[in-house]
Amino acid sequence: MSALRVEGLSAGYGGPPVLRDVSFEAEPGQTVCVLGPNGGGKTTLFRVLLGELAPIAGRVAGPGRPAYVAQTERTRLDFPVSALDVALMGTLATGRWWLPARGAERAAAAAALERVGLAERAGTRFGELSGGQRQRALLARALVQDARLLLLDEPLSGVDPASAGLIAAVFQELRAEGRTLLVSSHDVESARTFDRVLCLHGRQVAFGPPAEVLDRRTLEATYGSEMIVLEEGRPKRAVTIQHHEHGAH
Amino acid sequence: MPSPLDLADLPFLRDALVELVLLAIAGGILGAWIVLRRLAFFSHAVGSATFPGLVAADASGVSPTLAGVAVALGYAGGVERAGRAGREPSEATALLLVAALAGGVVLASDVFESGAAVDRLLFGTLLGLDEADLALSAAAAALATIATLTLGRAWAALTFDPDAAGGLGLPAGVADFLLLALVAVAAVAAIPAVGVLLVTVIYVLPAAAARLVARSVPALIGWALALALLEGIVGLYLAYWLDVPPGPPVALLGAGVYALVAVVSAR
Repeated sequence: MSALRVEGLSAGYGGPPVLRDVSFEAEPGQTVCVLGPNGGGKTTLFRVLLGELAPIAGRVAGPGRPAYVAQTERTRLDFPVSALDVALMGTLATGRWWLPARGAERAAAAAALERVGLAERAGTRFGELSGGQRQRALLARALVQDARLLLLDEPLSGVDPASAGLIAAVFQELRAEGRTLLVSSHDVESARTFDRVLCLHGRQVAFGPPAEVLDRRTLEATYGSEMIVLEEGRPKRAVTIQHHEHGAH
Repeated sequence: MPSPLDLADLPFLRDALVELVLLAIAGGILGAWIVLRRLAFFSHAVGSATFPGLVAADASGVSPTLAGVAVALGYAGGVERAGRAGREPSEATALLLVAALAGGVVLASDVFESGAAVDRLLFGTLLGLDEADLALSAAAAALATIATLTLGRAWAALTFDPDAAGGLGLPAGVADFLLLALVAVAAVAAIPAVGVLLVTVIYVLPAAAARLVARSVPALIGWALALALLEGIVGLYLAYWLDVPPGPPVALLGAGVYALVAVVSAR
């Protein structure tokens, strides 16, 4: 039985669909990298999976409510919460959000911070953490939810190498626990480390193992005007022009 | 200089004292959420939006409290819908603010010829606070306390990360509307004592000062509550001493405390 099954999905915001013809399955313990340009439909897919957006057509079947890790830029850095407070927010997903946090829930939040290497920063204000530490605090919030399906929006974007290593290690643990991860990304190269790759450009361009999906033709169809540059002398290195130029500065 | 004990001894001052203590409880608790959710402008506008309704109700014998609450709740619902539709409500809020004030003045002076009531509605009064005013303020204080105890964790999570609602299974629309509705009811409750123009004195200034020093949401609520009580009680005494409506001295005191906290916390 698959952990996540999406069949003929189309979704939009009142007008014509911004995402259509999406069909894929992800097994328990599989990691899926969702590639696509800005506006390609990655966020729309996540909103449907979170139940925030009703599909125009198609069906979605998943293993309960997913946990969601937003980009850290979407959070309020001036909000007076500690890393522990953020992790504790994950306990709201139990449905007891109108009651005070119990001792066991506080212990779960502390354990999640330990798991992402933030135990010593538990009392630090979220806004005073580094970008990578903030991403790890949000990941701890998702871990506390104990969800079978996790949706992560560019979790490795702009994080320091130490945090990226810790986050990647947690991904491996989650995979070993049989949880399914959908990770949106702009980084074509990192997509090669996932079990499956889903390419979106307003529709599903491709889905499958990285070795089958990540060819030049598919990537050009995925990124359209954001053409792919295959760097000279490094045939496996594929980056978007956006990232190529960014790296040159 | 009159004795501070007069606040407890003289019946009309005692009512005003009870009213300001109740409003300080509502203001301290709700004010924390108002500054965290950046609803200061809304809290000011919702009080002003009720102004024409209050003038019309006052002149036509309808309960001003009921009229004010009805108008304020309708306004809160409109703002919540605009926010859900992704619109920027500031322009509409500003337009409504000006229209409401101008409409209220025209109604009061030219239609109902009740100009004397305008000052009272705009700036509040120590005199004439009745049981209905005290009951509404008590309700606002009780609702603010209960709502914070039950909805506080959800409000904090949604304010910190608005994208978290779906993943955490939180009823974001209901939680947002309840906060706006509560602020609207509380703003109407404050109008008899501090007036339409100075509702923010109770609901924004103490919490804004507390925000400068508090490092957690419970600390912010605690500090805002303490400052609101301090400013309300001392402001009432100043109003009695200077023979002015209570709104302006409480406002000046609130601004002074904010400036002091800003200077001290910056060191």
